[in-house]
Amino acid sequence: MTEAVVTLSNVWKIFGDRADEAMAAVRAEGLTKPQVLERFGCVVGVQDASFEVPRGEIFCIMGLSGSGKSTLVRHVNRLIEPTAGRIEILGRDISAMKERELRQVRAQQIGMVFQHMALMPHRSVRDNVAYPLEIRDVPKSKRWAVSDHVLGLVDLTGYEDRLPKELSGGMQQRVGIARALASDPEILLMDEPFSALDPLIRLQLQDQFKALVAQLKKTTLFITHDLDEAIRIGHRIAIMKDGVIVQIGTAEEIVMNPADDYVREFVQGISKLKLVKAHSIMGPLDAAPGPLGDAPRADEDADLDHLIDLSADTASPVVITRGGADVGFVDKTRLLRGIQGGRQ
Amino acid sequence: MTDTTVPEQVDSGRGGAAAVPGAPLAGEPGITVTAASDIEVNRDELDASIGQFVEERAPYYQRSFHRIHESTGLVPRTFNLWAAVAGPFWAAARGVWGMFWTFLILEIIAWVQIGRGLWGNPGASLMERAGTQRARADEFLQRAADATAAGEDPSRFERLAENIGRAADKSLAEAEALSAEATSIMLYGLALLAVFKIVQGLYANRVYEKQYSKWRIDPASVESGFSRRRAGIGAALVAAIAPLTIYKFTVSSPWAVLNEFPEKRLSEAVLGVENETFFTRLATWLEARIDAAAVAGADVFDGVTAGVRSVLDALTLALNGTPWPVVMTVIIVTAWRAAGPRVAIFTTAALAYIALLGYWDVAMETVALVGAAVIICVVIGIPLGIWFGKSRRAYNAAEPVLDLMQTLPAFVYLIPIIAFFGTGNPPGILATIIFGMPPVIRLTALGMRGVPENIKEAATAFGASKRQVLKDVEIPLALPSIMAGVNQTILMCLSMVVIISLIGGGGLGKVILEALQYAAKGPGLLGGFAILFCAMVIDRIVQGAFRGDGAR
Repeated sequence: MTEAVVTLSNVWKIFGDRADEAMAAVRAEGLTKPQVLERFGCVVGVQDASFEVPRGEIFCIMGLSGSGKSTLVRHVNRLIEPTAGRIEILGRDISAMKERELRQVRAQQIGMVFQHMALMPHRSVRDNVAYPLEIRDVPKSKRWAVSDHVLGLVDLTGYEDRLPKELSGGMQQRVGIARALASDPEILLMDEPFSALDPLIRLQLQDQFKALVAQLKKTTLFITHDLDEAIRIGHRIAIMKDGVIVQIGTAEEIVMNPADDYVREFVQGISKLKLVKAHSIMGPLDAAPGPLGDAPRADEDADLDHLIDLSADTASPVVITRGGADVGFVDKTRLLRGIQGGRQ
Repeated sequence: MTDTTVPEQVDSGRGGAAAVPGAPLAGEPGITVTAASDIEVNRDELDASIGQFVEERAPYYQRSFHRIHESTGLVPRTFNLWAAVAGPFWAAARGVWGMFWTFLILEIIAWVQIGRGLWGNPGASLMERAGTQRARADEFLQRAADATAAGEDPSRFERLAENIGRAADKSLAEAEALSAEATSIMLYGLALLAVFKIVQGLYANRVYEKQYSKWRIDPASVESGFSRRRAGIGAALVAAIAPLTIYKFTVSSPWAVLNEFPEKRLSEAVLGVENETFFTRLATWLEARIDAAAVAGADVFDGVTAGVRSVLDALTLALNGTPWPVVMTVIIVTAWRAAGPRVAIFTTAALAYIALLGYWDVAMETVALVGAAVIICVVIGIPLGIWFGKSRRAYNAAEPVLDLMQTLPAFVYLIPIIAFFGTGNPPGILATIIFGMPPVIRLTALGMRGVPENIKEAATAFGASKRQVLKDVEIPLALPSIMAGVNQTILMCLSMVVIISLIGGGGLGKVILEALQYAAKGPGLLGGFAILFCAMVIDRIVQGAFRGDGAR
């Protein structure tokens, strides 16, 4: 098991003047969200959230607006104070930090990208990117060198001296990413970074971002309201609803075994072709009809798309192998059901 | 897809609104689209709602409202007899207060005419005069008769009696004409009243229907129903307003007490001292308070004055102490650098006007006065504005004070300023500051509040401290607004230059004040233009500098 970079355990956030009372009441009586609102006039933003993100993982938090995902991620750099629970960054409890220490962690270990870019309009692109370093009193020559380097990483060389407003939305968000990378942080917090962009640019940036993060090995918390985006980018996905994390798992786990109706409804429209792997739909070899000597073979990690290619040219089922040995088969029925989402 | 799930009747729409016979999903009712002309009005629901609104005489109002809902013309085809007869009382009982006040006033106007016609007796004074003149004529006739009896010449008395008798006849004729006019005034009043009644009857239901529409949106706060309590309030208001008004306007010599508020008698009755009123007592008390405060805080006030004076002295030294060619050159070059060549040319012309007419020294004094006021405004106002921008509570507390500073006429606070700070230039600057500071505070606060939350959050997320967020994000982003505030403040301060000369302030304001005192048209106008040019030059330079259209 790799080391957990971000750990949240039983984090609660209740908004309102009487948050502490409400928290105590929730602990003692197990009130529901509407009850808390009625009795204390407090809104439950995040309810008992726990997860760990190991080094180098892209952890997506997916939910609709108002589900508390942005609130949750702001706990990681303590832009929002938790009402209860513990948050650890690289093994250090962030709630216990003093102001100065917290600022240092924010400046050195956490980079954040915002939905609406939040660039400073009066500063050049270079000075925007260099701002996290400026806060840490890095000398100007060094700042400029670093910001030119990270701007190169996001393909913005040549735009250093422009003002943000002279750039397109996609380019501005790349500046935002560059700024988050400037202090070479361990952790990236991405708050719906691509939601405000148009679909083509979004696809482009998603791919670019994924490649960049894989290369730089950043631990990333990525917030999105778009399940497609979560599946494309995330190693693991947490689905949030009304402040509660409903399910955490890989894209395939969530699509194949939704935890409840809410998640099921969500994953319904998702294309399974690239997502579902052979091992999750194959049947045991002994149930296979007839001899499979010259049947096509595929690895258990082959996706549905590949299985369809193989299956289209032959009448016999496809044999699934693990490490070269036959372990199961997929016939047309299983394949079609798999495309539907594994309904048997 | 089977046909059984298709709704039986899919209206193709006569009015051109085409039906959309999309494939209805299993378990969902089919949706048909109907043309507007085919839609039935749901009368029952509407009637129930109207009934709930009017409470009494529901059937009548349901009928009237239907007629209003169906009519498209300008003149409503309904007539509310009750509203016509009872007038404002109906409006009050139904809670239609706008109509109540309008027609209460209009009906009073009509009643005043009627009253004047009935018992106002407009010819009364003339009739009286005719009586005395007739008596005088009779007296002279008597004297003539006595003279004749005494064997003297009666012609002098006869002539006098004849003249006065003629005047009396004339007065009598005029009085009769006026009395005859009284009837026509009364008829005119009656006609007015009738017109108002008819208009009320015609429009009452319309107005009431509007109120009903409002009531549907907000039943909690719009008055509805028929209320005897409201009718009572209406009657009380009518009783308080109508009789006295009609009395005052119709009777030729009403009670004196109605003409003038009896403040003297009241205060004498309350205070129990002759020749002392509330006013004199309060004024004496206030004067004593202010004198006491001026003595008690003399050190503080002197300190403030000294502080202001030091700023003013520095500026005066710079503007008046420096040789004039240097000052002129600096101003023109500043105009060029800050606002471009056109403003520089204008500035040169303005300075030439001021210098050639001998206003140079006073103009520089004015600029020093305004400059000192602006500097103090900015130094105090921007930090205050930043504070108010961050703290909603502080802003709410300060808002009434800022309003007061701007709305209070300058003459009002000149008096306490004289009491506390004496006369001369420093008190003048203080008065200017009171008037000039609010804009820079307000616009700084506005700018601070307008800084996008997400940019502040981003800076915080990258580890910025509060001070760094202020320095790197809030002030730079609020700067355009702050600069607009400074510009406003400069203009406000300039507008005070004449007023502060009233309390001994110097400069061009004093020139204008003197011209005003002697009604000297020529000097007054020339001085006025000098002030205008000063203001325009400063405004142009400052605006150009903020916009950045200088020759950089």
